[in-house]
Amino acid sequence: MKDLLRIKSLISTEIEALLNQQVKKEAYSSSVYLSMASWCNRNGYDFSSDYFFKQAEEERLHQLKFYKYILDMGGNSISPEITGIKQEYNSFREVFEEALDQEISVTNSIKNIYARCMKEQDFITMEFLNWFLKEQREEEYKARRALELFEVIGEEGTGRWQIDKHVGEIKYNGEA
Amino acid sequence: MISTLTQTTPWTDVFSTSAGAIYQCDEERCWYVDFAGKVAKFDYRCLLKLRKAVYHIDIEQVLLTTTKAPDVEIIFICACDHCYVLSLVQIIALKELLEGTFVMLELNHILHDRLGRVVI
Repeated sequence: MKDLLRIKSLISTEIEALLNQQVKKEAYSSSVYLSMASWCNRNGYDFSSDYFFKQAEEERLHQLKFYKYILDMGGNSISPEITGIKQEYNSFREVFEEALDQEISVTNSIKNIYARCMKEQDFITMEFLNWFLKEQREEEYKARRALELFEVIGEEGTGRWQIDKHVGEIKYNGEA
Repeated sequence: MISTLTQTTPWTDVFSTSAGAIYQCDEERCWYVDFAGKVAKFDYRCLLKLRKAVYHIDIEQVLLTTTKAPDVEIIFICACDHCYVLSLVQIIALKELLEGTFVMLELNHILHDRLGRVVI
């Protein structure tokens, strides 16, 4: 008996479901960043607003990368429904705290898919995910660095204005 | 049931229960589902959609509902020629049939995967 499932699709149904879940997660992240960009802009933190606009764009690209991979492998990509995006934040700092939480949750989710791939010996998807693992290094670094600025600069006086200015300059030059 | 059909290509028995059976046709790359008094042809996409539709029915919920509505579910699959109108007992039977089928297909995949990778 031929292995018809394998002929039609390189990835298993479980991996496909997990990847579709990730598509949704990335889309959610993109929307969250967009909402953060709006909040920052409304409150006068223009550099941070630009930073979040860029992040939103990046997350959207990640979403498409997953989306196209599923299709290329013979699977069914599902366009996600995104609801429940928080629009208001209590403080400038809270925005960055939630941005880091968001990135940590994305990293965990990718680790989870990777673990499943290892179990199934799906080396092809593992190789595909390597790019994202490396990307998460940068994403988490940037989010953590932004929060660090709150510690080293401090929010008193013109502190927030300084922090905002420096957020726009955060870069990751990981050589490792 | 099978003998009444004009079979031109060989079918392999994938999984069967007392309620029905699912066969695979390698040549046509499809499956034949013998259930609820008919034999229906499903390609890869449609079989997955059928599975999704059946698995999505909350059997417990239907059992607990006290409304007077009959326990009948219509399984309609988009872009597929077949439709099932099933009672709850039939749904349980179809679910069992599909679960068994996918376990067998998975097993077949594992065998192909492992044997295909053996270096001689």
